[in-house]
Amino acid sequence: MPQRHKIELTVNGKKLQRLVEPRLLLSDFLRYELRLTGTHVGCAHGVCGACTVSINGSTARSCLTFAVQMDGAVIETVESLAPRGPLSLIQQAFHEHHALQCGFCTPGFLLSTREFLARYPDPSDETVRMALRGHICRCTGYVNIVRAVRAAAAKLKEERTGHGS
Amino acid sequence: MAADRDAGDESGMIGRPLPRKEDDPLLRGLGVFIDDIQEPPGTLHAVFVMSTRAHANVVAVDIAEAAQAEGVVAVYTGKDLAGRIKPITADIPQPGYQPVNRAVLATDRVRFVGEAVAVVIAENRYLAEDAAELVRVDYEELPSVIDVDQATGPDAPRLHEGTRDNVLFQASYRTANVETVFASADHIVRDTFQSHRLAVVAIEPRGCMAVYQRRNDSLTLWSSTQLPHTVRTAIANLLDWDETRLRVVAPDVGGGFGGKCSVYPEELIVSFLARELNAPVKWICDRREDLMTTTQGREYRFDVALAFKRDGTLLGAKAKIDCNIGAYPSFPLGASVEAGGAAIYLPGAYRMGEYAYETRAITTTTCPSGVYRAVAAPVASLATESLMDRAARELGLDPAEIRRKNVLLPSDLPYTNAVGMRYSTGSFATCLERALAHADYVGFRRTQTDNRLRDGKLHGIGMANVIEHTGQGTLRYRQRGIIYVPGFDGAQVKVEPNGRAIAWVSQCTQGQGHLTAFAQIVAHELGLGMDDVTVIEGDTAFGPYGTGTFASRGAVIAGGATLRASTRVADKIRRIAGHALNVSAGDLKLADGRVYLSGTSEVSMSIREVAAIAHSMDARALPESDSFGLEATEYYDPAATPTSNAAHVAQVSIDPATGLVTVVNYVVAHDCGRVINPLIVEGQVHGAVVQGLSSVLSEAMRYDETGQPITVSLMDYLIATAADAPDITVLHEESWSPDTAGGFKGVGEGGVIGVLPAVANAIADALVPFGCKINRLPLLPQAIVALMGSRSAGSLEDIHNP
Amino acid sequence: MKPSRFEYFSPASTSEAVEILASYQGRARLLAGGQSLVPLLNFRIITPEALIDLSRCRGLDEIRSEGSVLVLGSMVRQSTAETSEIVRTCCPLITATMPFLGPSPIRNRGTIGGSLAHADRVAELPAVAVALGAIMIAEGPKRRREIPAREFFLGDLTTALASEEMLREVRFPISSDGERFAFVEATNRHHDLALVAVALKLVLNAGRCEQAAIAVVGVGPKPLRLPASEGCLVGKRLDAATVLAAAQLSTEGIEFESDVHTPASYRRHVLPSLVERALRQAASNAHGNDR
Repeated sequence: MPQRHKIELTVNGKKLQRLVEPRLLLSDFLRYELRLTGTHVGCAHGVCGACTVSINGSTARSCLTFAVQMDGAVIETVESLAPRGPLSLIQQAFHEHHALQCGFCTPGFLLSTREFLARYPDPSDETVRMALRGHICRCTGYVNIVRAVRAAAAKLKEERTGHGS
Repeated sequence: MAADRDAGDESGMIGRPLPRKEDDPLLRGLGVFIDDIQEPPGTLHAVFVMSTRAHANVVAVDIAEAAQAEGVVAVYTGKDLAGRIKPITADIPQPGYQPVNRAVLATDRVRFVGEAVAVVIAENRYLAEDAAELVRVDYEELPSVIDVDQATGPDAPRLHEGTRDNVLFQASYRTANVETVFASADHIVRDTFQSHRLAVVAIEPRGCMAVYQRRNDSLTLWSSTQLPHTVRTAIANLLDWDETRLRVVAPDVGGGFGGKCSVYPEELIVSFLARELNAPVKWICDRREDLMTTTQGREYRFDVALAFKRDGTLLGAKAKIDCNIGAYPSFPLGASVEAGGAAIYLPGAYRMGEYAYETRAITTTTCPSGVYRAVAAPVASLATESLMDRAARELGLDPAEIRRKNVLLPSDLPYTNAVGMRYSTGSFATCLERALAHADYVGFRRTQTDNRLRDGKLHGIGMANVIEHTGQGTLRYRQRGIIYVPGFDGAQVKVEPNGRAIAWVSQCTQGQGHLTAFAQIVAHELGLGMDDVTVIEGDTAFGPYGTGTFASRGAVIAGGATLRASTRVADKIRRIAGHALNVSAGDLKLADGRVYLSGTSEVSMSIREVAAIAHSMDARALPESDSFGLEATEYYDPAATPTSNAAHVAQVSIDPATGLVTVVNYVVAHDCGRVINPLIVEGQVHGAVVQGLSSVLSEAMRYDETGQPITVSLMDYLIATAADAPDITVLHEESWSPDTAGGFKGVGEGGVIGVLPAVANAIADALVPFGCKINRLPLLPQAIVALMGSRSAGSLEDIHNP
Repeated sequence: MKPSRFEYFSPASTSEAVEILASYQGRARLLAGGQSLVPLLNFRIITPEALIDLSRCRGLDEIRSEGSVLVLGSMVRQSTAETSEIVRTCCPLITATMPFLGPSPIRNRGTIGGSLAHADRVAELPAVAVALGAIMIAEGPKRRREIPAREFFLGDLTTALASEEMLREVRFPISSDGERFAFVEATNRHHDLALVAVALKLVLNAGRCEQAAIAVVGVGPKPLRLPASEGCLVGKRLDAATVLAAAQLSTEGIEFESDVHTPASYRRHVLPSLVERALRQAASNAHGNDR
């Protein structure tokens, strides 16, 4: 019986400590141990993107990470985008542009969009499509997702610069 | 039966592009999908031991070691359950149908890789998987048959006891003059079209959790399903339980698309185990299992001939259709749904009097198939539209011209086609013209070169006209022999004392926006704001019995029921208010949460006040004729099957060096009758188009020659990403249905039907210089390169320096 | 799809890591980024008794230039390499190839060394390593050794690393002025995993090709150089005829292999076009100043 390892980590701003079995996947740790079920598991082999979280400020597949690796890590999940109060700008853009249907893939898209727009604030449709190719959606056909991301980019620019493009 | 049209109330909620009520919790990560439901203490986890053989006798199943493994509570085999859970059977009373049984766990024989032979129940999924590996199964291999030819060949093993052969359904039909028409036709085009098997791949795999209450011997099954009522009835029937003590709940469901549209063995087994073990039992399908066990679809062969006059007039069609339906028919739709539907759809949106078909559903040792979005219609449409393009070329006509000659015109409607399907209303010709115009078809043709090259890529354009049979009701399902699908749905609309409304609807949602669209209907009829209406679906404990959400029936049937129930509630509101205000109920209007006398703002009261009266919590009394409460339950069944229509135009470019196809432009002119929410309609069309596109360009569920599935991960089964998908323009037309309450028609699947032929035709157009025929999917780069023929390296120069 | 049980180690030094590795005698696996390894664990295709996490080993994530060599520690994350100015200046082919390694979440965790040591037959970095003539530094319990890229990749998921060795760092020759580069691939979907990929590096002098290194992955179990094509370029200008000739020679001597998805004939068909495309791309970019 493998030893359990102690991990100390920060999840959505909250410091916590747990004992975990080595093979416990981060996705399962977040979902079952911490009851943060917004991160979804669609394939468990890193392709669909539904499990995407942020680890130490970068997006990553939680289904390809073990909780035991996360000692000292800072993790953010979709629940951190709008813990209470109004939706974040990107979430609001998804809502206004009907960029989600069943919502299962959405959390992954939101986190990747946030990272992408921070790095590429003025993307074209083509760049958006290429950047978000790591997330499979079976419902929307991506059309409205691309529109939402472009709209969010425009709004973020407006916020930053104080005037619209 | 005319549509129930409201008296010209243009300011209502129906028709508005409102953002969805569903979104907020989903965006925050607060959705509750099957695997998110808080597990009650003591929940056990099930893992199924899957057959590693496509066809074999099960000689022995040794569970001894597994049963002793850490954390294991129990292990069951097929023999353990055989006497406790009846087999699943879809006994469709149709001529030519051979019903077969499916044991929930294989007993003596397995018929596909992935069929469950045992189930391990343990404290958690990790331990259950460990233990499952310890189950030893002795197989005696039998010959596998993986396609329709093998299954119908002279040496084919008979897969199911009690059957004559492996053709589980067959039907044929001919109109009176089809042979004459073919004999005298000026031009006949013919080909055999083969589409590859597909996996549905909703991003959320299946799953269920059963919670048993010993206190009153009752059970709740949470299941990621599209048909909770049918699942409940099946549990009652197959486990011999009292249906009144059963509850089935569909939580948030992450996509269905027909893959969650069957009663699955796992649902029955998990329910049984929860009661047997007196503990909650949960099973979540992982992606590998999903690709091996969730019903697949679309492995069809269509041998089709179309007969034309010299001027391009379509005279008739002949089709021979074979459908590979896998190891077992699905329940409740049965073995005939694909083969039957395939034949019905072939005439499509065209005027065509004569038609003959033979169609068969053939069982093989592969994963069972079901009703993947649009079922056989996309392939039927692929055949018709591809042949139409070829006929056009051979007759010297433009593909658009030949469509114009044959597409149904307003003067043709109502039209009854060669198989008796009646199209009441539609905008076929209008949609075609609008789509072509928006795609600048004329401009494209004008600049198109004979060698199809521009900027080093081959360019082509293709089109398709789509018809979609939506909202099928009780009559249609009975005609098709599908007696286990009720066909109706119901809605209970209730106004609470606080003046807000709840609608319990017997369907369920997997992302189609029911909670918004149906709320719009209620709000529209009752004059309430969207925030004052809540729609609840998916729970058999609340509201009326119904059929479920599939086959593009949401807006038509659940929408119709919601509309009818809302109208009755609105009438009661008017009666109560009329009595209280001492005016005629007929002169009252509902808007902005108030009831007011038409033409004046002086005489009015709030709906909340009306609700108080209805609950006897006001000084004023109800009219004598009315009882307490403010609610109505209505079941709805459309008088006839409404047909939606669309025209698709696709533009592609192909990299001649690698064969990679890019869809550079996509236009859909779409008519689903009266639109409740245009945003939702567009979203459905976008999603359907890209899902279908993916099946044209890269998806293929593949088996090796022994029946082993090869594509059991998403690295092998290739689904279109955002980088593959085009922007899609949706143009709206609204031909209200005269046959449905509200005038609604359905929209969920039409997008798929059009994209296979439109993109295949565009590719064929781009490859005209190579003189090849497109009749196989998918069109991976290697297929495109093969179609282009073997070219020596010298021709690289030709391609780059035209 | 849960992995089978394993012990977990997170050593602070590479010497400790290889010691643990050796003690398991081939039944342990090294965990770098995990993007290739963990799917195999989740599918239970492999069931190691232990995972040795390299992420806390000192010094493995360094990027530095040493004389004429760019050194990338094996745990350098792919996204870090992608945005590193040092990498871009020293070895622009690496920078240009990074976006092809997968979408961001994969590149954020995936590592340079992990991808090379995993040696998937269509991975991009092995092609780059072979084209640039990289040197792999292997570390075992007793010694370190240098393995040239051309000798490092032995076959499907197989490298020259012994069972108790790990890949410690990779040394790439720093690009000189006049060097051109390109990376192109053929895929089943847009911006997808490669079916066949070509990485190339050319050294031009007064417009003539002085050196050419063309590496291809996806045609067989390991990366291959294309000596016939390379030979055809040396001493010539990169005009259309030369490019075409080099492309046509690219299939020479290669035994193209099919797999369950893609036939050999497709790989054979597409290689010349990829080589041609890569040469055209290389011809139009310049690193530093042309000599």
